[in-house]
Amino acid sequence: MRDNKATGAAPDRSRRAFVLVLPLMAIGGMLATVAIAAFRFLSPTVSASSEKWIDVAQVTELVGNKPLPRKIAVEEVAGWARSFAEHSVYILPGKNSQVLSAVCPHEGCEVSWHDDGNVFSCPCHDSNFAADGSRIYGPARRGLDPLPSRVVDGKLQVQYQSFINNTQERTSRG
Amino acid sequence: MIPARNTDFDELRIAPQPSSVRREAGRTSGWRCWLWTTTGVVLMLILLQLITGLLLAFYYVPSADHAHATVSFIEKAVRAGSWIRSLHHHGSQWLSLFLFLHLLELFWRGAYRTATARWEAAVVLLGLVMAAGATGYSLPWDVRALFSTRVAEGIVSGLPLVGSIARLWLLGSNEISTLTISRFFALHVLVTPFLILLVLGWQFFVRRSDRRCATADDYSGDESPRSAKLTSHSTSLVINQATRNVLIAAVVFLLLGLYAHKFPAPLGPSASNATADYLPRPGAQFVWLYETLKYVPGALGSLVGVVLPGLVLLTLAALPWLDKTPLKRITDRPGHNIGVTILSLSVFFVTSMTVVSYLGDRRDPRTRQQLSRQAAAEAAFRREPFVPTLLNEGDTIKGPASSASPSPGGPSGTPPAAFTKLCVTCHGEHGEGARQGPLKFPPLLGVAEKPRRSVEDIVGILNDPAAYGLEPPMKSFATKLTDDEKREIANWIVTLKKIN
Repeated sequence: MRDNKATGAAPDRSRRAFVLVLPLMAIGGMLATVAIAAFRFLSPTVSASSEKWIDVAQVTELVGNKPLPRKIAVEEVAGWARSFAEHSVYILPGKNSQVLSAVCPHEGCEVSWHDDGNVFSCPCHDSNFAADGSRIYGPARRGLDPLPSRVVDGKLQVQYQSFINNTQERTSRG
Repeated sequence: MIPARNTDFDELRIAPQPSSVRREAGRTSGWRCWLWTTTGVVLMLILLQLITGLLLAFYYVPSADHAHATVSFIEKAVRAGSWIRSLHHHGSQWLSLFLFLHLLELFWRGAYRTATARWEAAVVLLGLVMAAGATGYSLPWDVRALFSTRVAEGIVSGLPLVGSIARLWLLGSNEISTLTISRFFALHVLVTPFLILLVLGWQFFVRRSDRRCATADDYSGDESPRSAKLTSHSTSLVINQATRNVLIAAVVFLLLGLYAHKFPAPLGPSASNATADYLPRPGAQFVWLYETLKYVPGALGSLVGVVLPGLVLLTLAALPWLDKTPLKRITDRPGHNIGVTILSLSVFFVTSMTVVSYLGDRRDPRTRQQLSRQAAAEAAFRREPFVPTLLNEGDTIKGPASSASPSPGGPSGTPPAAFTKLCVTCHGEHGEGARQGPLKFPPLLGVAEKPRRSVEDIVGILNDPAAYGLEPPMKSFATKLTDDEKREIANWIVTLKKIN
């Protein structure tokens, strides 16, 4: 179109340009349409982290002075599938019953409590954490991740979250 | 007089042509060149099928218990999912139609003689596209898909001699099952596209373009020798014909896009909800076959369904050679005459059967009612919000870790204290393995049955897992365990039995 004006004196050249530009525009249009649809189609489905409160323990069970290991079943929705995944948590002794995720903030293995050293220790890369979850040594870059918890009707409940591995600050995956 | 060759493309013109084709070539211009653009449309539709199919594969799961859920997820939850799937669904029918039109165009232009490779490619492509359509209909695993699979099963099992074997090979087992979906999936997304790409590649690299339209303006029917001037001029004329192809393809793309937007691809309730009164209706490109099967007795169905289309395709493929056979004595141009007969019979047969089928459905009030009930059920299903499939029940997960569950490995005794202390986080309290988030740790049950897993070997693994080909996170316990502890653990592990 632009070429028509510019080369009005040479209709042959403008026709040739038109003959080139028009199919290129058509191909571009088709490709762009498909590309936009493909981009929308493939964009990931992000589900917000669950707000559900999950029972972890009866308050009456919370005795002793050691972290108490528990397993909870957390519902996870991934697109067309819904499943329950098992996650380990530790309930810390003390009045407010802080709940820690047992997932090591380094590479995501599961830490275990060791009575002899009074530490949480990760079997994968030997990260060690104190009884309150704070980092002692090892490749982990932060302490164990605390989870929101509350007491309702004599039950300790927790909201499960998972966090991005291997970062200093705590970022929820949800 | 035959002029000297001076371009790569001249042989098409030099090749002896039937007089009618030569006359045709002389008159080729203007509107006819706009009609002769099925190549572009077919190419566009094949590419579109490949792209949309590839996109669908990002979500689809080929198994009896997830196929329908993943397709309804695409339909209901994925952005642009309904449109993409609709493009793929209707695109396959449009592709069959345009490939047939492409065959007609090639035949009309005498290409089966002058551009044999191109003709053969079109015939093979038509067969492959129909095969891709037939296998694709099973994949959504709704009621419609189930019946489509049953029909394929019936047609194949009715084949003479090989029927029962062919049926087993098609289904992958003695009944329609999840294995069948896997087979149809592999045929649909790997085998047929691969063969189609093979044919396209061969066409692209081997064949030379037919330039009748490109050169017609210059020659305007006279047989004068080509001059250098004309050869240089023809570059822009090729662009002309390519332009026509692209523009028509773009128009078809636009129409298909709007059509796919207006009419989403059908998806009914899951195959597990199939009822006896369901009236299966195949995709548009198979309606003629479906209608024909109504009129022929059972055993002949396979002949109509497989052998007849096969024979038609084979004869079309053989056209270029029929002119050289003794048939020549009977008729002037046997290839042409046979081609005309077969193609016009095909057009007549397919069109009339399709029309008869649609008219029949509209005329019979009970069929009409049932079909509208089915359409209503599909519409209702489509309106339901998407519900994710539950993969496992929450209560299958064991209670608190402290609960003393009985050893699943049978009478293998209590694990050694050292095992309980260092190994249980990964391998489970009784060696049953564990799952930690995304990580899975292997069970130790039955390990002793494997090679290189004697007591000595297990002690060796505890000292140096890498030497046994084990990868992190399994690490060396050489300094963390005493030799006695290692031996105690190894002795216990070899007693663990697999759970059956």
